[in-house]
Amino acid sequence: MSAQLWALAVAGAVVVAAACLETFRARRARKLVLATSTPALRATSPQVGRNEEPYILYFTGDSCTVCRTHQEPALARLSDVRIDKIDAVNERALADQFHVYTLPTTVVMAADGQPLHVNYGYAPAPKLERQLAEARGAGLRSAATA
Amino acid sequence: MSTPTQVVDHSALKVNQTGIVVTVLVAFIGSALFRPLLVLIPLLAIVLLLGTFAPQLALFKQLYFKVLKPRGIVKPRPVQDRPEPHNFAQGLGGVFLAVASIFLIPLPVVGLALSLLVAVLAFVNLAFGYCLGCQIFFQLERRGFIKA
Repeated sequence: MSAQLWALAVAGAVVVAAACLETFRARRARKLVLATSTPALRATSPQVGRNEEPYILYFTGDSCTVCRTHQEPALARLSDVRIDKIDAVNERALADQFHVYTLPTTVVMAADGQPLHVNYGYAPAPKLERQLAEARGAGLRSAATA
Repeated sequence: MSTPTQVVDHSALKVNQTGIVVTVLVAFIGSALFRPLLVLIPLLAIVLLLGTFAPQLALFKQLYFKVLKPRGIVKPRPVQDRPEPHNFAQGLGGVFLAVASIFLIPLPVVGLALSLLVAVLAFVNLAFGYCLGCQIFFQLERRGFIKA
């Protein structure tokens, strides 16, 4: 029985370590993306440009099942928002710029092309709606101060 | 981006993941009382590796297609998807269980811990749809090690 208990402890430690590593990696990638300058992003892809409204960059791929079963239905629930679907394998430069290490990845972009929120992994519709509302609020504030 | 033209029955994948979790748990808990039950780990490794290269030999998937689906016990859930990432994930699970099998006699803690990790990942896929093997497949494909 002791071998089983030790194995349980070892496996538990590995799971906890992996969860911590994943959290650290996501935070680091998010920080790097949010610090990225907008002109560099615009130069990388014609898909990223100036808009009237906040929009979403949706990184996906053929190998991503969660994208089709979870993320796309969640994105379909959002109303009045432009979604730019990007193949993370084919558009590697753009994916690298947003530090896409997992699929799906969604980036909520402000109207001026500035990344505001990055979600690595599945992002449910209410979370994206909240982030879009924040992006719209930020847009209104910057318009008022201009 | 090209939408996959193939259809993958996700119920077959779920049955496969359930089979992995149940087999590992039976081996893990059962071996505390009856040590020969550890033989289920290398057997599972063989089943997963055989199923990766020859789908007609995938035991749990065949159980689904030949028994559970025709009798209506499990309903089919076809999804437009690529089978390659799932096969890769299954193969990876098989490799990990094969390595675990090597350790089971000299270092049972390592062997059992590796087997448990495979079961945990299968459970995470089953319950939350997160497939670590598919993410590794994506990274390898992105770096050009695997061609689509």
